[in-house]
Amino acid sequence: MLQKKICMLGSFSVGKTSLVRRFVESIFSEAYQTSIGVKVDKKVVRVNDEDVALVLWDIHGEDVYQKIRMSYLRGMSGYLLVIDGTRRQTLDDALALNERVIQEAGKVPAILVFNKSDLVDKWEIDSTRESELIAAGWNIVRTSAKTGDSVEDVFSKLAAAMLI
Amino acid sequence: MAPNSIFESFLVSQGYALFESLGHGEFLAVGDCPSWCRDILDLTSPTGKPIALAAKSPFLENFLVDADDFWNSKTEGAANSGNWAERDKNGREVPLEAFALSLDNKKILILQNLSAHFAEQQQWFQTARDSLLAHEQLLSEIQKKEILLHCIVHDLSQPLTAITGCFNLLRLEKVPPVVEKYVEAGLRESQRQESMIRGILSAFSGDLMAQQASGHSGGAVPDLSVCARQAVEEFSSAFKDKDVRLRFAPPPHDSADWRIAGDAPRLDRIFGNLLENTLRYSLPKSTVTIGLEDQGGYILAFVDDEGPGLPKDLPTNQLFALFSKGKSHSGKAGLGLYFCKITVERWGGTIGAETRAQGGSRFWFRLPRANAKLRDSEPAHASAEKRSVPSQPSASTSGPPPQVSRIGRALKHLRVLVTEDTEINRELIGELLTKRGHSVSAVSDGLEALAAFEREPFDVILMDQEMPNMNGLDATRAIRKLETSTGRHVRIIGLTGNATSEDERRCLNAGMDAFLSKPVRMEKLYEAVESKLQTSSEFDHSQPAPVPLDPATTKEAVAEDESVVAHLHRATGGNQKLQRTLVKSFLQDAPKTLSLIRRAIAKKNAQKLASAAHALKGSISIFGAAKAVAIARELEAMGRSGHLFDAGPQFRALESEFQRIKPELQAISSVSSGNPKPKRKTKPKSRRAR
Repeated sequence: MLQKKICMLGSFSVGKTSLVRRFVESIFSEAYQTSIGVKVDKKVVRVNDEDVALVLWDIHGEDVYQKIRMSYLRGMSGYLLVIDGTRRQTLDDALALNERVIQEAGKVPAILVFNKSDLVDKWEIDSTRESELIAAGWNIVRTSAKTGDSVEDVFSKLAAAMLI
Repeated sequence: MAPNSIFESFLVSQGYALFESLGHGEFLAVGDCPSWCRDILDLTSPTGKPIALAAKSPFLENFLVDADDFWNSKTEGAANSGNWAERDKNGREVPLEAFALSLDNKKILILQNLSAHFAEQQQWFQTARDSLLAHEQLLSEIQKKEILLHCIVHDLSQPLTAITGCFNLLRLEKVPPVVEKYVEAGLRESQRQESMIRGILSAFSGDLMAQQASGHSGGAVPDLSVCARQAVEEFSSAFKDKDVRLRFAPPPHDSADWRIAGDAPRLDRIFGNLLENTLRYSLPKSTVTIGLEDQGGYILAFVDDEGPGLPKDLPTNQLFALFSKGKSHSGKAGLGLYFCKITVERWGGTIGAETRAQGGSRFWFRLPRANAKLRDSEPAHASAEKRSVPSQPSASTSGPPPQVSRIGRALKHLRVLVTEDTEINRELIGELLTKRGHSVSAVSDGLEALAAFEREPFDVILMDQEMPNMNGLDATRAIRKLETSTGRHVRIIGLTGNATSEDERRCLNAGMDAFLSKPVRMEKLYEAVESKLQTSSEFDHSQPAPVPLDPATTKEAVAEDESVVAHLHRATGGNQKLQRTLVKSFLQDAPKTLSLIRRAIAKKNAQKLASAAHALKGSISIFGAAKAVAIARELEAMGRSGHLFDAGPQFRALESEFQRIKPELQAISSVSSGNPKPKRKTKPKSRRAR
């Protein structure tokens, strides 16, 4: 079966682990439990009538305490760059991280995930900024690990992009 | 495979899993493989049989590439994988770390189970990150409040323009001496209020924007060389903690005069902010150098580091922008460099940053030397108060009211266009200019001003900054663009309640010729409108010092519970016709503006929310409606800050408040005799001089 490595990237507390848990196990926990290190999960999805095993690398969020090792990106076919819509800074940090990722891994399919869409009333990123990013070539998907909204969709979209 | 050394035996006895690389991705377990390891890696084959570890775990597969690199490099020490987690047979996550090292020419891979200390480590990270989140939240709240406060200050200035205008108009009338006395008292009190507003603005801006009070309010004329040395002394321990060397490079001509036009406390803060910024990006064992250069009438001060240099994609001017933060932000609010910029520019200097050719970055500022007169007349202990003596009589002075002369007619009749979104201010400014002998047309936003400008010639345009549809800055830019084909130049004077140097700069950059801060004083207004030659800023830097709030004064001013009818009666001096016009106009426009706000919130369009809320706030404030004004102000602040959470509930509160006052307004409107003529929106009303 075809295997594809996907990395979950972004600042701490943006919901990377929650997205993976929602996608793989269909569960969500309100309590924030910070990730240390890497967890690897697998899920088989069907793309264009073909089974594809997605190997999901849930990499700890980057902050002053933990930096992401670029060696974790080796063999990556695509990545989800996750931000927390309620924290504007996570977008700036994600875009900075993205530059390093491209430098290390080259250009591979990526989706900018605006997570926590269930808290859209508290978002700090307005539609103008979102439009600018789309104009800059970003594929943006709004998700909620809490409600499950667009979670399957974002992984499917990335899987499809990786198979082109 | 049995352990071959004491070290291997020790590690195995301590619960580590040891494997020796056989090449080609195969490994042999050294000693007894711990049960947790057999469980996780699903090692069912008997000990002594080669294992393909890469096939057991994608993470290990990835790390073995790094491990091979390490083994082949023949370097000392070990390569480690960083933490990762695998699930055991029961689905429990087991935290692990792998190490690659060379032992007796053997390639050894060690797996460590971190379970024993992981909970403690997890707790540490959890606490640290929770604190970071709380800090981010706090900064966000502070920024939101600062913007809200700025809006409040702006709003306080608006009605004061009307009050001052009314008193100025009264002064032009023939009134009994006793009334004249009251008028002068009223005018004096409105000037006091103005001082207080400037005081609030100054306090709010703190060190950021308080520069407007005086050019340099500190004491002695500071010596840059002394300040630079002091900064090095003060910061050397902080730099030492990060293993960074901080040094002062004495200039070649150290005997030169390094005194500049500024003040020492702020200069210290400039050095402090630049050094703090540099420290964040400096690498251990690098050197940071502060130096000075003699550049004739100016002195250049610089801070050089050996860090990564400036981000390539970040324009230099953005580095010094308000709330701008570096990409590897360290939790600061992004105010430090902005403070440096506005302070240096206020002192007539320039500031910048660049990546140095030899690596690292240079932050620099260039200040004019203290002039000879200042140097000679200012002893080192000169007090700030000496330099900030207000040119206007202090509001707290208990003497007679300020002597004001009656304003005669202008020497030359001018055609003036007043562009102002607040109706009452528009009326009053128009009235003052008409009485002076000028022709006045009035419009309520930038689009209308542009249309009026294209339709008829004007000598002067008074242009409010913040207006719906098109703001004053955009309208000015558009007018200047149109003028390029005609070669004409209409004098445009900016009006704004945000009386900061930043606002002044924005006005002038947009193409305005001058700038008047609200509330507009009659004398200043006439001076600005009639002064053809004056092209510099009208920004008043010599306001009286703020005075303590007088409870007796504020008691009347804060009439929150006043009814719409009473407020409107007071604001219009009982002019019922004017009241009806205002109410009808408001009842027509308010639902549309509310709809704009609703749509802006739904679409998360912060800019449109700010603009629509600002418009509604201005129009609703005419009727008192303190609660509605406060909510609209909150919404405007949310729009400006981009924090739209809570916008939904606030909007619902605003709608409810509008519904509450609507019957009162409709009652005023229905008193009208006959059907009112529809309000003209685009064609300016023109009043010829009487």
